[in-house]
Amino acid sequence: MKTPLLGPFKTPKSNAHLLGPLQKIHLPMKRFSESDEVDYVIVGCGSAGGVLLQRLARAGFDVVALEAGPFWDTERDWVSDESGSHQLYWEDPRVTGGSDPLALGANNCGKGVGGGSVHWAAFTPRFHPSDFEVYTRDGVAVDWPIDYDVIRPYYEQLELEMPVAGPAYYPWGHPHGYPYGPHPMGGVGNALIKGCTALNIPVSIGGPVAILSGSHGDRPHCIYRGFCIQGCKVGAKASTLITHVPDALKSGAEIRDNCMASRIELGKNHRVTGVHYFDRDGNTHFQRARAVIIAGYSIETPRLLLNSACPGFEDGLANSSDTVGRYMMAQAGNVVLGRFDQPVRMYKAPPAHALTEEFYETDPKNDFARGFAIQTVGPLPIAFGKEMVAAKRAWGWGLRREMMDYNHWASFGLLGEILPWPDNRVTLADETDRFGLRVAHVSFNLHDNDKKLIKAAKEKTSEVMHAAGATEVVQEARFAHLVGAARMGSDPRTSVVDKFGRTHDISNLFVCDGSILPTQGSANPGLTIQALAARTADYLISQRDAIFTSDKREMTEPALRTELAPPGTYGRGIPHLK
Amino acid sequence: MNPNDPDTSLLPRDAATGEPLLPTDQPGYYRGFSTMSQKAYWDQTTRDVITMRVEQPPSLHHFTADQARFWRAVFDHLIPQHDRTPEHRIPIVEPLDERLYQNRGIGYRYEKMPQDREAYRLGKQAINEEAKARFGGEFIYLPHHQQDLVLQALHDAKNIAGKQIWKQMSIRRFWQLLMQDALEAYYSHPWAWDEIGFGGPAYPRAYTRLERGEPEPWEVEEKRHEWLAPLYTVSDVIEDTLELHLESDQNNYFLE
Repeated sequence: MKTPLLGPFKTPKSNAHLLGPLQKIHLPMKRFSESDEVDYVIVGCGSAGGVLLQRLARAGFDVVALEAGPFWDTERDWVSDESGSHQLYWEDPRVTGGSDPLALGANNCGKGVGGGSVHWAAFTPRFHPSDFEVYTRDGVAVDWPIDYDVIRPYYEQLELEMPVAGPAYYPWGHPHGYPYGPHPMGGVGNALIKGCTALNIPVSIGGPVAILSGSHGDRPHCIYRGFCIQGCKVGAKASTLITHVPDALKSGAEIRDNCMASRIELGKNHRVTGVHYFDRDGNTHFQRARAVIIAGYSIETPRLLLNSACPGFEDGLANSSDTVGRYMMAQAGNVVLGRFDQPVRMYKAPPAHALTEEFYETDPKNDFARGFAIQTVGPLPIAFGKEMVAAKRAWGWGLRREMMDYNHWASFGLLGEILPWPDNRVTLADETDRFGLRVAHVSFNLHDNDKKLIKAAKEKTSEVMHAAGATEVVQEARFAHLVGAARMGSDPRTSVVDKFGRTHDISNLFVCDGSILPTQGSANPGLTIQALAARTADYLISQRDAIFTSDKREMTEPALRTELAPPGTYGRGIPHLK
Repeated sequence: MNPNDPDTSLLPRDAATGEPLLPTDQPGYYRGFSTMSQKAYWDQTTRDVITMRVEQPPSLHHFTADQARFWRAVFDHLIPQHDRTPEHRIPIVEPLDERLYQNRGIGYRYEKMPQDREAYRLGKQAINEEAKARFGGEFIYLPHHQQDLVLQALHDAKNIAGKQIWKQMSIRRFWQLLMQDALEAYYSHPWAWDEIGFGGPAYPRAYTRLERGEPEPWEVEEKRHEWLAPLYTVSDVIEDTLELHLESDQNNYFLE
């Protein structure tokens, strides 16, 4: 079987902008003029920015998103290839340090419309109710200014909009079910089920993942090709590029791609007036706006605020608390690899397809607070090679030999909660990028609780791998995800934004992305980031013009607006369990 | 090495007889498996990118001829390819050269590391200092086995020469950089996928046999054979780092 029946696959010749093989997108989009004072400029069109853009446009606001990377045509721009997918990641220079420096780039930072949701593995567990009151329960970290019941309707909403596939009954945190059926198991998921079952640990099979197990509108179902984190060409894995951006453009939003924000302009009366940015050719522009929302994630958001220092805010815009850039978090993401006598072929199936949250909560028997999850991961050959270099110090012939056994390995990722610490922070380095903007310096340091938690999580994950039948178990120490660095809170002295994402210092400047999270649990943050964005959008919409004309802060929770969901998403799927 | 008369001391050996195994077009346990034979089933963009990788590897722009020869000799140890016939060896220096020429980073630099171009410049100096300290000559002129020992010293980061250079950059992070560039080049190549039995691109066709590690109709079953590394190599060893559960301990231990 060398050739498809109808000949080799070819990209259609039409000039249409393609999102997956079927999805149509409304172009040309509306274009605002820089001399127009638009209602909102959103900096960053990723997980949060995409949802915000869609909601605000649908509600009738004039809204422009500035996105540092390209507006992907997924059929023409993306490849089923590890090495050919670099452009999806934020690869501009940054400096990483501290006692436990974080790998950035492909590990946790997206660039281009859709942002990190383009290359996430798409695990979408909710945070647990306990995550919102860590300080009250455990005396560590900090409580959120909201509780689980506030975000819960937005979890339910976004799980339908993505939508999420998973089991009908999910037992951890606040028990609930998922609208789309669970995915079939790959070899790694089978190993996790086998190991967990042998140790009497409950396990969630086939999700929760924002990957289609059945076709949905103009998006086909998953084909199990394993290139989730290289961008899903199929259109089965949710990214805001395909779930929210098409409706945003249809509703009159504008996205300026390849535009790098450089500075927020502060005008009279402590109110911002717009955003300075560079276009793809390096020309400078200024877009006027009645309010600005920064959605650049945990490094670029604080970087932009710090680079926007000005008279009155010498230490960075909206930084009177000196918390901009602080309390940044990554999760422990150690990968435990097990070798099996029988082949596994872990490149098939989505890397994300089974997990257990049995160890998520604080256990008084432990010598640390909070907990961890164990999840499937599915490294492709280059990533697997890097793991062999770290885990076994392999090189030369030893490395070639290990790599020839690629198909015999399965891998689990632990996801461990690291607490927010003030010395884990983003500052500005002395060096500059190609626009002359000072780049971010990221300093990360593990503390006692973190180290104890990682050790215990690694040992439990190794135990599960042995119980699954692995004859050899090794481990790569690493980190996953980023959140924090512009945290929300009720006290303007210890946080950057209030519970709706509005900066304490400036009434028409908002932050809406992972950087506002006060703590992170041991759940992947993507769903929570999008849920918070939908809630912030409801708040902004409920305020109509008040944000543009007054400094008064209404602190009442907005009503959930299901009618703002992209068409055909809300109100379908099974009812969730109460 | 004359391709028609390979230096047998550089070749892997049959585990039973100890005899050198002659170079082949496709090492590994998946004889007859070819990802490129499936390229008509891939989407056009992927097909174009990967076909280009095989048929038109980049030419050198950043490294001088001398530097390229030096790094070729180094990568010949980090990912040795003497078991491959010369026409089926996978270029490693060329993709690296292209990355450095374009000044393309990976999105971050450790604070204990210089920029990548500078790291490779310093790295060459340091490897040569190590070669001189141990064996009294530049790396490129040492016999193959001594070159292996020089790089083993770098890998182990113990009793290392070039202390002035390693004050300017972390030896462990430099090793990590070298290995990442080597892996990125070698294991992004379809011939390496054939070697390890990785199915490669599968859009729009799909994978359908997800469980029990079974092959698709167009993949092949594994057929293992035991082999020994070349007689004089020191790289066919692995270490257990299971106890090092902090990234900084696993990758970044320092000298002294």
